[in-house]
Amino acid sequence: MNSGAVKFGLGVYTALFLVFLYGPLVVLAILSFQTGPEGGPQFPIIEWSLYWYKHLFGLTPPSRIAPLPIDDALVRSMALAVMTMIVSTVLGVVSAQAFRSHFKGSGLVFYLIVLGMMVPGVLVGLGMALVANTLGIDRHWWGTAFVLHVVYTFPFAFLVMLAIFNRFDPSVEEAAWSLGVSPIRTFRKITFPLIFPGVLSAMLFAFTLSYDEFSRTLFASGRDLTLPLAIYGTFSVEVHPNVFAFGVLTTLFSFALLGTYAVLMGLSVRRARRIAVQEDA
Amino acid sequence: MTPVLELNNLVKTFGASRALDGLSLSLPDNSYISLLGPSGSGKTTLLRVIAGFERCEAGSIRFGGRSMQDVAPHRRGIGFVFQNFALFPHLSVRDNVAFGLTNRELAPVTNAGEIADRVQAMIALVGLTGLEDRAVTQISGGQKQRVALARTLVTEPKMVLLDEPLGALDANLRARMRNELREIRERCGVAFLHVTGSETEALAMGDVVLVLDRGRIAQTGNSDSIYNRPASSDVARFLNCYNLFSGRIDGESFVAPAGRLPLGGLRQTAATPAYAIRHDRIAIRPTGTGLGGDEAAIEAQFLAEEYTGSAVYSFFTTEDGTLLEVETHLSKDARPVLEPQGRYALVWNKEHALVYA
Amino acid sequence: MHNPVLTEDVTVTEPVAKPSRMAFWLVLPGVVWMLLFLVLPILMMVYVSFWTQTTFTIKPVLTLQSWITFFSSDTYLGALWTTVRIWLLVLVATVVVGYPAALFVGLFVKNKTLQTVLLVLCVIPFWTSFLIRVLAWRPMLGKEGAINMILMKLGIVTHPIEVLLFSELSVIIGMTQIYCVFMVGPIAFMLGRIEPAIIEAAQDLGAGFWRIFRTIILPMSMPGVVVGAIFVSVMVLGEFATSAALSGRKVNLLGNIIVTQVGSLKWAFAAVAGVVLTLLMGLVVAALLRVVDLRKEL
Repeated sequence: MNSGAVKFGLGVYTALFLVFLYGPLVVLAILSFQTGPEGGPQFPIIEWSLYWYKHLFGLTPPSRIAPLPIDDALVRSMALAVMTMIVSTVLGVVSAQAFRSHFKGSGLVFYLIVLGMMVPGVLVGLGMALVANTLGIDRHWWGTAFVLHVVYTFPFAFLVMLAIFNRFDPSVEEAAWSLGVSPIRTFRKITFPLIFPGVLSAMLFAFTLSYDEFSRTLFASGRDLTLPLAIYGTFSVEVHPNVFAFGVLTTLFSFALLGTYAVLMGLSVRRARRIAVQEDA
Repeated sequence: MTPVLELNNLVKTFGASRALDGLSLSLPDNSYISLLGPSGSGKTTLLRVIAGFERCEAGSIRFGGRSMQDVAPHRRGIGFVFQNFALFPHLSVRDNVAFGLTNRELAPVTNAGEIADRVQAMIALVGLTGLEDRAVTQISGGQKQRVALARTLVTEPKMVLLDEPLGALDANLRARMRNELREIRERCGVAFLHVTGSETEALAMGDVVLVLDRGRIAQTGNSDSIYNRPASSDVARFLNCYNLFSGRIDGESFVAPAGRLPLGGLRQTAATPAYAIRHDRIAIRPTGTGLGGDEAAIEAQFLAEEYTGSAVYSFFTTEDGTLLEVETHLSKDARPVLEPQGRYALVWNKEHALVYA
Repeated sequence: MHNPVLTEDVTVTEPVAKPSRMAFWLVLPGVVWMLLFLVLPILMMVYVSFWTQTTFTIKPVLTLQSWITFFSSDTYLGALWTTVRIWLLVLVATVVVGYPAALFVGLFVKNKTLQTVLLVLCVIPFWTSFLIRVLAWRPMLGKEGAINMILMKLGIVTHPIEVLLFSELSVIIGMTQIYCVFMVGPIAFMLGRIEPAIIEAAQDLGAGFWRIFRTIILPMSMPGVVVGAIFVSVMVLGEFATSAALSGRKVNLLGNIIVTQVGSLKWAFAAVAGVVLTLLMGLVVAALLRVVDLRKEL
């Protein structure tokens, strides 16, 4: 559009909007370099130091501020995220494959699956805790919390795979069948390699969602905490810059994950583009 | 000789429309069979049903004497060459060709040496030697066509279905591939069922030609009988070389909106009455000249002409708006000199006409 | 030559439901999983809301007592009202805050790469831990926080604004920032699908920006607003962490009620709050889906 004034105004607004989005994180990052253990989570910065980063790894002399209970929690969160990633991606691929044919009740099943990402964690966590109590099952992160994580991430994996299959040309599968190759083997050798970028996206999605997932885990993980729960535990207590330092590190980790994903996707997209070229020929 | 494929009364519906409307046919083994079908006739559906990619509501399919009822596509032993080739994009040319042999359910070949030999032989047969290790995304359309053929033929099916195989190729390549396809088929000794919308292609390639019209086989025969004696006005229309008049028989004449035409020539029973005369059987004469005893004529106004080097196509319109086309072969006759909007007599020997009643 | 007319009856071949049967088996694990671990817990929650709650235990004897307590108590009705109020405020705020940015990125930025970059920039904060993002507002909003420091440095205020932190305002600000991305995305997507030719035609006919906005842009972006509203609503209604972290226990949403009740083992009561929240969400989503026939627009 040519309304120059409007465009300029909106451009300035968008810049401010981005400041709004990133502001707190930037402040958080700055404050993570606060000196310790006397320095608190507010301005001014008494002195720039890496104290709190060292505190995270237990490399500082003991002070009245307890270290964040992260080691075991971190391992648990990772393990849980990997388990969730595998199960929900498998379910997502298999269910999306089912939706390639029209079957009775597919509308209902679709909404049932999507429901999993719509229901807030509080509700489903509460419900699961009640079920566990009634049936006398213990709550564990690898049991009750795990199943809820899959309930949450499976719809995402499903929708991603649904989109991938929508654009998938089935004639290569039919070609394989006409050569005498069984449908299962066709899936293994032809379909799967071609949908792999989508599977990768679904896996990444599921991992990230599970790793950060918190409200569902709150009621369902029993005694042993996952990482987000450990962090949540510090909320009500005084907040110290060590949490900020932890936030910065977590963010960097997410970026590293995203970066790896971007590289892998770039490779797959390049291959997919060559495939698209073939179809045009 | 037992027919390699027998279809009986196939019915296939998509929603409200019938793509296959009680279709039956019987195909001989080891021959080149072409199926001519305009768009909408159901030709791709027919191939997909034979291959097993779609199921029919009614009818039976017998292939090589076996009933194909409930037989999954990968167990039928029928090859399929797709219009868009459907090559496996993540595999090389060699791996594409070898895929069926190594991965098929029934008797997969495990001996690496045997695979290599058979693949090499087939690649040579289709003329792709030297391209074995190329990615299939990096070869031309014609080469992709050959890979698709080689991939299917190496598994030695009893019949291969080809869905508009030459459609994606340019005109020069198409002409060349026509010969090559026939040669390859003969050397392999398989039956080819080649489906196309191009009447010239169908007539040129098939030992047997079938014409598909609205979900049914309208005519079966060799090229000569199809071309010279189309079984109905619809088939005649697909051949793109007949002028057609609709109307009815009245005594010794055919009454069409364009005029009365004397009967003669070949009479065939058909559902809709029609009168057909081939483009190249008509002569253009000035009006007012007398007619010979066995001649028929219609007066028409000249509209336009198309010169292709070896022939001239002249277009005329009659009083009632019927469009007529005359084809003059310049090796035989002189190029007609016609005045724009001029009125001429289009004359033909009434014995050359085809009458449907 | 015509098709030989068959004299004998041909039995109709029933299309053997093979493809459907395969689909059934494929989709079964997912369905079973959802039924067991999603539907069952919710049903359980509804069921338990009718159980008898004594001080320390809970018995499966059906009663309406917990329900009556809920609806006759100021605290809990207050929590319900607060939830609705905050949901509406945050929803409006995310639309107001997010729409202009979406407008800029979706409509005014012509370069597709730049568009993608900007959208990615908006999404990146989403990739940091949710809790960290909540926490990050504390040093921003506090008495000695960043905003107050900047305002005082610039001389705009002489005393720090206290109401910024540990109030309802801080919860709204925090939630708006965290969830507005879910508005920007869908709106920018819908705006990107508007044919520039339509706007050019309107301009050629002499329409000013506001006219064009009102009659073309706004209506065509509505499906995006509705989708964004559904995302934001679902997340805000289920919230409790932001209100816990930023309001100092002053703001009690239904989510907070559930958490605290579970903390004191008042399961039946938590279940009642849970069912109320579920009904509220169902109403909101159903209402939003009526605003625009999404199927048609998408």
